Order: sequence, then C-alpha cells, then structure tokens
Amino acid sequence: MTDADVLRRAGDASVLILTSLADGPKHGYALIQDVSQFAGVRLGPGTLYGALDRLERLGLIEALPAQDRRHPYRITAPGVAALRAHLDSVERVSAVGRLRLGVAGA
Amino acid sequence: MPGRLVAAVLRCYPARWRSRHGDEAAELAEFLIRDGTPARAVALSYLCGAARERLAGRPSRRVAAALLVAAGSLGAPLTLLSAGPAAGAAHVSRAPAGRTGTRTARPGTHGERCTARPDRASGARPAAARPGVPRAAISGTGRRHGQGC
Repeated sequence: MTDADVLRRAGDASVLILTSLADGPKHGYALIQDVSQFAGVRLGPGTLYGALDRLERLGLIEALPAQDRRHPYRITAPGVAALRAHLDSVERVSAVGRLRLGVAGA
Repeated sequence: MPGRLVAAVLRCYPARWRSRHGDEAAELAEFLIRDGTPARAVALSYLCGAARERLAGRPSRRVAAALLVAAGSLGAPLTLLSAGPAAGAAHVSRAPAGRTGTRTARPGTHGERCTARPDRASGARPAAARPGVPRAAISGTGRRHGQGC
C-alpha cells in the first residue's frame, strides 16, 4: 500500500462510508441501510458517528445543511481521491492474492 | 423504556458531540429499534462510541474509566473502545449470508465477544489449571489472541 492511501489506517467503517457516499449525499440512517445492502455489514450507530467525525476532520467528507434533525454528508474531492487510492491499493493486493491462490481471473 | 435507555447513554457523550449529533442520534436509534435492532445493542454501540469520544478528546479520566467499565460489563471487548483504526474495523458485524440488512449489529457476537475459555477443540486446560506453569507466565501479558480483554 502506498503513502497516498490515507484510508489505510482509517478502518473498515470509514471505507464503507466513503464508498456509500460516492454515489451521492446521505444521512446516518441511509448510510447504515446502504452499507448493509452492498457490503452485508451493519454499522453500529456509535461506530458510524465516530467514523463520520474522523472523516470530516480529515476533510474527506463534509456535512450539508441539516434537514430536520438529520445531517446529510457528502464526499469531498480529497475524499474521492482517497477512496480511489485505497481501492487501487486493495485491488493490487487482491490481484496478488488471487494469483498466488491460483484463482482464475487474476 | 428502550428510548430511555438510549437517551441515558447519549448523555454520556460530551456536550459538544450532543449539540452536533444528539438529536439525529436519538432519531437514528428510534429507526434502528423500529427495524428490529435490540435497544440494548444500540445503547451499547453508543456507549462504546461515547467512551471513544471521551478518550479521543480531552480525556476526563474518571468519566472515560467509568464508561469503559460500563461497556466492559455489558460484554464489549475493550479493543473496540480504542480510538485507533482497529476499532473502526472491528465494530462492524457481518450480516449472515442471504440475510443482508436484516440482522442487527450485536456487539459481542461474530467473534467480537471477549471471552477467556480453554481451547475446547484441543481439550487443553487453562494455563492456570496446569501444574508446573508459573503464575507469572499466565498473568497479563501472556494472553493469546481472542482470549482476553
């Protein structure tokens, strides 16, 4: 993995959240639902808010004006770049792993 | 009653966090409980989050310690409470195959529970029960992965 991969140490929750936000802004409940659908994991609400705060501090996401009590978040340009770098990095590792396992399609 | 439990746990967060996320977090808890997530699981997740928040900010050691004890007594492994990336990685639970989105995160399940049990598969007895094993070798630092908090 490269140094450009700032998500390397951010944890799975951060990657899942950024991936979810990649197709548009979402608030907390929608994020949990979406991540559950595409990744099959259920984020705990405490984990969710911790990751959202961390990503916002890193400048990878930003909060939009509140709608009622909900704060939608959207991915920022640095967030898109970070997610892309992380996915590239994971893909390289995945390719090597598949090759070494002799899995077809590597 | 479930709402009161979650509300009580949300009060464990710092005021700064509550003013930012408090209302939304309470609403989110309502939705999750309505969807079938046990209120206790929601409360425990928030409790762990509150402990992490307290530890990550200006830590009030007494408050953080109290939250850690409370979360630990509810079955949360202490590794989940650290502010590091491992916490974020560990505190998600995988939905069973074929049931995506229908099962709630229950801290303490899917390998998250922190238990000290003898190795049943091998029939090994705990080190403390084996003769000839010095106590110094089994206290604190000698834990194996997944066997202790």
